[in-house]
Amino acid sequence: MTVLLEPAAPAPGALAPGAGPAPRAWRRLRRRPAALLAGGALALLVLLALAAPLLAQLSGQDPNAYHDDLVDSARGGVPLGSFGGISGDHWLGVEPGTGRDLFTRLLYGARVSLLVALGATVLQVLLGVVAGLTAALGNRLLGRLIARVTDVMIALPLLVLAIALTAVVPPDFPRPLLLVLAIGILDWGGVARMVRAQTLSLRGLDFVEAARLSGNSTLRIARRELLPSLAAPVITLAALKVPTNMVIEASLSFLGVGVKPPTPSWGQMLSGAQTWFRADPAYVLLPAGLLFVTVLAFTVLGDGVRTALDPRAGSRLRVGTRKERTA
Amino acid sequence: MLRQSHTSRRVAAVAVSLVLAGGAAACGPKGGTEKAGSGSGAPGGAPREGGTLTVLNAEPQSDFDPARLYTSGGGNVPSLVFRTLTTRNREDGAAGTKVVPDLATDTGKANADATEWTYTLKDGLKYEDGTPITTADIKYGIERSFAAELSGGAPYLRDWLVGGESYEGPYKNGGKGLDSIVVPDEKTITFKLRKPEGEFPFLATQTQFAPVPKAKDTGVTYEEHPVSSGPYKVVKNEGDGEHLTLERNEHWDPKTDEERKAYPDKIDVRSGLDVAVINQRLSTSSGADAAAITTDTNLGPAELAQIGGDKQLAARVGTGHFGYTNYLAFNPKVAPFDNPKVRQAISYAVNRTSVVNAAGGSALAEPATTFLPEQEAFGFTKYDHFPAGATGDAAKARELLKEAGFPDGISITLTHNTAQNRQTGPEIATAVQQALAAAGITVKLEGLENNAFNERRWDAKNTPGFFLSRWGADWPSGGPFLAPIFDGRQIVTNGSNYNHAQLDDQAVNTEIDEIAKLTDLAAAGKRWGALDKKIGEQALDVPLFHPVYKRLVGKDVKNVVISDWTGVLDISQVSVK
Repeated sequence: MTVLLEPAAPAPGALAPGAGPAPRAWRRLRRRPAALLAGGALALLVLLALAAPLLAQLSGQDPNAYHDDLVDSARGGVPLGSFGGISGDHWLGVEPGTGRDLFTRLLYGARVSLLVALGATVLQVLLGVVAGLTAALGNRLLGRLIARVTDVMIALPLLVLAIALTAVVPPDFPRPLLLVLAIGILDWGGVARMVRAQTLSLRGLDFVEAARLSGNSTLRIARRELLPSLAAPVITLAALKVPTNMVIEASLSFLGVGVKPPTPSWGQMLSGAQTWFRADPAYVLLPAGLLFVTVLAFTVLGDGVRTALDPRAGSRLRVGTRKERTA
Repeated sequence: MLRQSHTSRRVAAVAVSLVLAGGAAACGPKGGTEKAGSGSGAPGGAPREGGTLTVLNAEPQSDFDPARLYTSGGGNVPSLVFRTLTTRNREDGAAGTKVVPDLATDTGKANADATEWTYTLKDGLKYEDGTPITTADIKYGIERSFAAELSGGAPYLRDWLVGGESYEGPYKNGGKGLDSIVVPDEKTITFKLRKPEGEFPFLATQTQFAPVPKAKDTGVTYEEHPVSSGPYKVVKNEGDGEHLTLERNEHWDPKTDEERKAYPDKIDVRSGLDVAVINQRLSTSSGADAAAITTDTNLGPAELAQIGGDKQLAARVGTGHFGYTNYLAFNPKVAPFDNPKVRQAISYAVNRTSVVNAAGGSALAEPATTFLPEQEAFGFTKYDHFPAGATGDAAKARELLKEAGFPDGISITLTHNTAQNRQTGPEIATAVQQALAAAGITVKLEGLENNAFNERRWDAKNTPGFFLSRWGADWPSGGPFLAPIFDGRQIVTNGSNYNHAQLDDQAVNTEIDEIAKLTDLAAAGKRWGALDKKIGEQALDVPLFHPVYKRLVGKDVKNVVISDWTGVLDISQVSVK
């Protein structure tokens, strides 16, 4: 829908008295099958990742065990059998060169990929919201300082810095946590900038003015008036950040500074698979396909959540004539 | 000593299998020398003159200056332009490990204790401008390789020539020459060495021994248009060696050169290409790529897997062995590797089948139990002091650990390169980790970025306790293979220490000196082999595998010759007509 002229955004809850924003958003989300499907796929993935040890036990495979007898050593170590060596023991085939079980490696890889992506997103949102609100509501000097720091953070070459950071940290530091910290601390600029811009536009609106004139403190205004209004864009941005972070983790692992071998991650698997796309397509398609589906699911879900949380979406209070809107 | 010089590619093993003709043979059996006859290129017919040969390379021919090149046997593309006193025999397999005369009439005459080597030039040798080649120009070529601005060559000249350690090249101190290179007349040259060096003829194959006319020397820009003494001259050099066009040198007389065949009229060297693109273009062989080769790009495991079923393509794959060993190195100064029993336990526990698979499978790597490569030229003597079998002997390893005082196993750190190079990278490290786990040895992996990794392993003061390493030879002999690794006097703190174990054993040092005195290379080989076997008893390293090189050629390429010296096809023998 095209909003030509935006009326003053009403305070949350003002449109449908009696129903809170969350149940209303859920009602709207339910009407979007794509978002529901995406959400379902992600829930299944999380469940599978959580149950990885259980499923590995069920399939009888250890993700790190070598099977030299399952690869054709004379032909570069390509898996014996069809479709990358799929068999009753190895449900998704084996890795070329090592014969390691791909099903269990993908499951354990999902743990790393999801954990790092979600952890980094939480950190980014926390840092971004705090920085953005402070920049918009603090005094002028502080506001400008934070805005400039945010600009610098956005301009920083994330991958280069993350590589540098992961290189100087002692080798014993847990890698997944290090990745969460590296991505989270280096890439909060986007969230901060968005929060600052939204806050600046909200700040001038009547309901915020009213709260201020009633004598509320800045902190209370931020908590009671601004945060609820910021929730929708922040949640949307977070949902879109998760897939980005997943790709960053994959890139770092791809470049060899991600999780340490033999711990699998999707990025690391993709890195090893890059030359095999013709000789053993299954080896490439599995991690690439999973990464693609997950990133797509997060994006679709993020888009659905955005629409569901948008106060204008369900409102009959449209702007312009019907003709204009459908044109 | 092994630098990542693209001009010198390497290979190793007794089984010199040229898997060329009709996809006939897989890797040859050990012990036998299966040799494809000359002219074993892909399509039939005798090699003929003419046509343009395209070379598709990853690394540009930057530093195309004979002083700056670090090559084995004069290199591939460089040896088309630079002739040297001696050169490698351009034949398939083991015959190709011999050193033969090039500009000189023989491989050199030594005095009684091999401290003086004298060469005489052939008649009728000319540069591309028709002027005669003199020994003074060879002396000058060597002298300029001492100049700091023309660095890059091997350190041997500096180490071996009298006064070499302090000489600064002809651009300094009023153009003073090096007195230990004596030129009594235009045809004769004598080298005076600090100590006996029976392998001097091998050194004389390196490009530093190419003649450089003093009047034409332009210092650092000489590389753009070096004066040719070989069958081709540089007519165009674009992008610092990225695109090199070579055409016939009309003043090169084939009667003076028994080694270079020089069939094509023109050679077009294109570099800066992606490795995958090179192999794809050679495999497709369309247009000019049908007459194309590469002098620096091997086939990887995935490409081999893909070729596997295609007989026509398999017939175009050349296989070669270069003297190279990949091994697990110990630093016995770091606990628990000071305990020989721990080192032996690790030797027993290693699963060479997984390691070979991680290195690209049996077509690209051969399991190694000796430090010397499996070729007679190196003096290869078979031994397996700690027989691990094909997949490792975990029980024996546990037993040794118990004797060493670790009944509950141990935890150690393995340092490796994070680059996925299938040599010192995480693939090999993980395979080792997995095999040692079965013997109760918990391996923590410490991955270092390529430069940091090399800095650590070559730093005598800070060498890791247990790490992946590799070594290749500058020429096919035991000397440059064993001396830098086990000679106690070669332990250096300048950041290029290759004696990882820091072995300083008087008996070993003396034997190295004694063998260096021999000019009978066959006799020297036997003693290098015996020395390798003796040092092997100390378990100072665990040999893992010797790599095998496989390379594709375009479909019109004929007369593929692969020696055991370089392990890759010799560009000077290729025909495209």
